[in-house]
Amino acid sequence: MGNVIAVISGKGGVGKTTTTANIGLGIALNNKRCVVVDFDIGQRNLDMILGLENRVVYDIVQVMDGEASLSQALIKSKMNDKLYFLAASQTKDKTALQSEKISKLIESLREDFDYIILDAPAGIESGYEHTIEFADAAIIVVNPEVSSIRDADRAIGILDSKSQKVKDGAEVAKYLIINRIDAKMVQSGEMLSSSDILDILGINLLGKVPEDKGIIDASNQGKPIILNPNSAAGQAYKRIASRLCGEDIDMPELETVQGSFLQKIKGIFK
Amino acid sequence: MFPWFKKKGSASTAKDRLTIAIMSDRDNNNSYPFMAQMKAEIIEVVKKYIGVKTINITKDVEGDFEALSIEVQLDKNA
Ligand SMILES: Nc1ncnc2c1ncn2[C@@H]1O[C@H](COP(=O)(O)OP(=O)(O)OP(=O)(O)O)[C@@H](O)[C@H]1O
Ligand SMILES: [Mg+2]
Repeated sequence: MGNVIAVISGKGGVGKTTTTANIGLGIALNNKRCVVVDFDIGQRNLDMILGLENRVVYDIVQVMDGEASLSQALIKSKMNDKLYFLAASQTKDKTALQSEKISKLIESLREDFDYIILDAPAGIESGYEHTIEFADAAIIVVNPEVSSIRDADRAIGILDSKSQKVKDGAEVAKYLIINRIDAKMVQSGEMLSSSDILDILGINLLGKVPEDKGIIDASNQGKPIILNPNSAAGQAYKRIASRLCGEDIDMPELETVQGSFLQKIKGIFK
Repeated sequence: MFPWFKKKGSASTAKDRLTIAIMSDRDNNNSYPFMAQMKAEIIEVVKKYIGVKTINITKDVEGDFEALSIEVQLDKNA
């Protein structure tokens, strides 16, 4: 039975889709069958980030409405044959998602895949609630910035009251990813550190991802940055995917500026 | 290195503000949906005996300990 993980944030634009694409591919690189599902109905972004926009024929709402079969709608990635993608529909209809239909779809995905990663829409409205409804776990993506962290806490509150698992008396696992860390700013006290953020939110840290200009180039090309061995963010996503696959990978220090004057002096005395 | 040159960043301000904002967000979202109704009923009961101006009900959470404080303000002119 597959593991269903919703990628959520509260505030928009903090990196949910980037995270979904990269960890989805990362899990596939770990030899597990993985499907990434775009739950951002009406928007459609994940296909571009994965370089699959030309291959979309059927979308998630058509599958739920029985207009297409799941196997017709699932698109296999060109980059890894263990990675599949299910597109969001571009409908503006807010009632496109319904609980029973989502439940049925997720149950069939569970039978076929080891990991099912759901890319949530921004906000904490009904689209968000439907994304978390049948999830076993959530990855909460934040930026080291006040409004992102505050909104994430609200999203976590909804997760803890509205997900089916919680209603059944169980717990939804929660993992935090801090995205867009600027080491220099953390060092100079201008940006919240990851330990500050963990104190405030009180959930477990899954990984830290640095600010990385290469992400624009990766999305320009439709090739997730995890494929770039020279990218710090790519390496961070690699470690996160391996942790999700159960490996015990250490958390490197991303918040100290490498090669700074002070560090060099410290190096001399080592 | 020289403390008098070190400019203190705003991250610690952010942490303090966030801690307070999130505590109050969590409080608001945990307040009981029946609070308004309960307040009205308590006022009705107390009014039978003595004049009441307002009632404040606050929920306090400290670790595992939760308490409702009910403060009744009397109306001297009643
Ligand atoms: N670590 C990073 N370094 C630099 N840029 C980043 C990083 N992570 C994300 N971005 C950029 O931030 C923008 C928003 O990212 P993304 O689309 O993944 O966010 P989102 O949370 O899915 O947004 P939405 O809420 O609109 O769905 C993109 O332009 C992306 O390239
Ligand atoms: Mg997105």
